[in-house]
Amino acid sequence: MKCYSLIVIAVLGSLMVHAQTNTPDTLSTPRGLTQIIAESGDFDLAGHEATYRATYRGHVRVDDPQMKLTCEQLVADLPQPGGHPSHIVAETNVVIDLTNEKGQTNHATSDKAVYLYNVQNGVTNETVTLTGNAKVERAQGWLIGEPIIIYCATRQIHANNPHMISKQNLNGATADTNAAAAGTNDLSAPKKNDE
Amino acid sequence: MNAKANITRASLAAGLLFAVAPGVRAQQNGVQHANNFTTTEYYEPPHQQQIKSILSGAEALPQPGGLLIIKQLKLEMFNLDGKLEWVVNAPECVYDTFKGVANSPGHLQVRTGDGKFRVEGEGFLWRQSDSFLTISNNVRTVIENGAIMNTKP
Repeated sequence: MKCYSLIVIAVLGSLMVHAQTNTPDTLSTPRGLTQIIAESGDFDLAGHEATYRATYRGHVRVDDPQMKLTCEQLVADLPQPGGHPSHIVAETNVVIDLTNEKGQTNHATSDKAVYLYNVQNGVTNETVTLTGNAKVERAQGWLIGEPIIIYCATRQIHANNPHMISKQNLNGATADTNAAAAGTNDLSAPKKNDE
Repeated sequence: MNAKANITRASLAAGLLFAVAPGVRAQQNGVQHANNFTTTEYYEPPHQQQIKSILSGAEALPQPGGLLIIKQLKLEMFNLDGKLEWVVNAPECVYDTFKGVANSPGHLQVRTGDGKFRVEGEGFLWRQSDSFLTISNNVRTVIENGAIMNTKP
């Protein structure tokens, strides 16, 4: 699974901003329009510490060609032109539906999703962290963890206390396993309880 | 009414919306109805040569209580480099010259200078002191061709 979650969340921020990022590993791809709809919104246009902040509340919906996101509140720190969104938080009943380039859909749900971006010593770190009843549904089954962290650079999903439920197994004797899906190179379970 | 003749007074009044320094206050009794006004605000020293905002409107109508109705509002906000950052349009709003806030139950459009980020909604409150905007209903943001974080290594 590619790191579409991160892409999507990052897109949220980057698209919400008028800026185009100059990050080397970022490709600007024509994608049409991204739309964010909410009942209300607050916009701090003063640009505190080189950052604007947009807060959407109430039935927030993000429609993008590659993903759909809904939540009750979305807060995005938007950079100055040319910058990169560094911090985006989606809260309450977060639902992310991602479609990859193969048309496959991944369905992620959580109470909270946090996107973080920073560059340290020339290394770009981008993560999306799902917490609170975090779950990612894929074709094979569901990954449950607390938290579930999506690393974009490696295209991996890491889950603490991972719990994998196979859809196939739902019809069989074993409904779940306690390990991440085997045979995949993009899903890993680096930690278990208190490791 | 001669619009040009009223520009100065209209500027005092209408310029208060979003743009004018807090120390400047409209003298309501001295402000008359004005048409097609434009007012410019500059940054404070040492950037006093740089335009901070340009406010224009089709009409400025002083009201009791220090209120000012502005129709066909257009506000352009610039950064210190002279780059157009934000453009605000509203068919009509009421500006409270004492509180430094503007509001309207009507439509509002905000966009970035390059037009790639646009927000609109119904009903808004603008707080001049900290450039804080609240849109109360039906907020819709559209982003054109935004940067995708395509993270292919």
